[in-house]
Amino acid sequence: MWEVMFWPTMACVLLPWLLVYLGLHVVRRGIIFIDIAMAQMASLGICVAVLLHLNLEGWPAFLIALGFTLIGAAIFSITGKRSSQIPQEAIIGIGYVVAAAAAVLLLSRAAEGDEEIKNMLVGNILLVSPLDVWKCFGLFVVVGLTHFFLRKSLLLVSFDRDAAYQQGLAVRWWDFLFYSLFGLVVTSFVSIAGVLLVFSYLIVPAVCAISLADSLGKRFLLGWLIALIGGVTGLLLSFSWDLPSGAAIVCTFGVLLVVITSASVLFRRRREPVAGKEI
Amino acid sequence: MKRNCLTKTIGAIFLGLTMAVSANAKLNVVATLPDFGSVAREVGGDYVDVTTLAKPTEDPHFVDARPSFVVKLREADLLIDGGAELEIGWLPPLLQNARNSKIEIGQPGRVQASEGIRLMEVPAQLTRAAGDVHAMGNPHFMVDPIIAKAVAAHIARAFSAVDPAHAAAYQANEKQFENTINAKLQEWGAKLLPFRGQSLVAYHDSWVYFAHRFGFNINIFLEPKPGIPPSPSHLAEVIAQMKAQKIKAILVEPYQNRKIAEKVAEETGGKVVDFAQFPGALPDTPTYVKLIDTLVSRLVAALK
Repeated sequence: MWEVMFWPTMACVLLPWLLVYLGLHVVRRGIIFIDIAMAQMASLGICVAVLLHLNLEGWPAFLIALGFTLIGAAIFSITGKRSSQIPQEAIIGIGYVVAAAAAVLLLSRAAEGDEEIKNMLVGNILLVSPLDVWKCFGLFVVVGLTHFFLRKSLLLVSFDRDAAYQQGLAVRWWDFLFYSLFGLVVTSFVSIAGVLLVFSYLIVPAVCAISLADSLGKRFLLGWLIALIGGVTGLLLSFSWDLPSGAAIVCTFGVLLVVITSASVLFRRRREPVAGKEI
Repeated sequence: MKRNCLTKTIGAIFLGLTMAVSANAKLNVVATLPDFGSVAREVGGDYVDVTTLAKPTEDPHFVDARPSFVVKLREADLLIDGGAELEIGWLPPLLQNARNSKIEIGQPGRVQASEGIRLMEVPAQLTRAAGDVHAMGNPHFMVDPIIAKAVAAHIARAFSAVDPAHAAAYQANEKQFENTINAKLQEWGAKLLPFRGQSLVAYHDSWVYFAHRFGFNINIFLEPKPGIPPSPSHLAEVIAQMKAQKIKAILVEPYQNRKIAEKVAEETGGKVVDFAQFPGALPDTPTYVKLIDTLVSRLVAALK
């Protein structure tokens, strides 16, 4: 079993920490579907590379995909106004459908069989190669360090926007940086693990952790733990019952979420008369 | 519950072990697609254990990988694939993870069924601009029974090379398959003779070899380009062509959008014929020969 499941397990151990951390940002900002929208922007870039007859594994194709991701980051940071009638999630949704539809239009002109493109954009966690995992891990470390060194501003922009404006931060530029880094992370993880998994890793551990703990540090550690348990359990189940691995992990996360939130509700109800002050 | 799960897992491992031991004497053969699997069973008989990766009703261009696929490929003595890029979307990463040197390209344990077969519709230009999914030519060649015979012979040679002890049996089985196909070709040809030269419409360009063998023209497709979903203007053109040429049948496979074919059939008074490339995808088609039998009788029923 280990010969087959070793690298998928490594991917599930080495990579989720950053997704959990970014997930806390994303849930706090209320922009749940940003990951799918950004991944779709990147795949639109790949479609353009296809139209230009570029080698999809080469640098030019990568740069085009990166360019589209940055365009997405720019759009979402410009439209994220301080106070607006239109929720940011609406813009993100529009960005997603338009990018997805544009990809369909481009491909209909490209006449390529799209199996190669789909295969390239949407990976399968079962089939990760060691090189994929290390490349992705390297990128995650770089992005993680950036987030660590710039944590003061990046956290303020996500978690207390009013204070960020009051302190005179260039919120739009910080947003642009956040979205750009986020786009890089999401696109590289989608290409080795697929869309379903990236979404689950971002949202489920964050939501569980928020219902269990109060401080960012605790939430991050708890979320990481939940991501590790969910990912590895899902992989084990996928092996022993021979299920598609990505979907098995996602469903394991779903079950974990139900168990954890209902346990936390029960736990809170029992504690309420004593503590009583939890929000 | 946890214990139950644990015993299940242990049970599964134990079962796997006993299976491996009892199958030790047999050749472990993996086929990417059910048509290769079916022919491999005919040729291998009792001396091989054939595992087919794709399900008969699954689109051969997109197959969802499961952990057992990697396990099977690791343990395989021999792998049969098309070798014409039909499985390019999913087989290479599986092989990379299975890391089984016995089934690498060029080894005796690797059969690429298209080897030695002249593929049709090879694009003139081998660039991405050529606008064809499959640079090596159309990979749906197994629906031509004469090509299937050649593939059976290829498989028999590979089995004999890897497992010389049973070479005689493999050769005999292959001969028998060939004889069956030869006899059946007479029957199929006779049944389809009244409709020779007719044109048919297909959803995807996967019947060119069948058309070539049995004398049909299948040049009109619901897809504007391979792998691209039908667009309204293209469908309008198909409908006009069907009416002009009085085409009576639209061939649709299980994983294709039957609704679109039904709509076109409604407009033109044609019939939707459920076709399939893979044994097991249609009722009562456990073997390759039975599949072609069914295709022929369905086509006769639709064109009568």
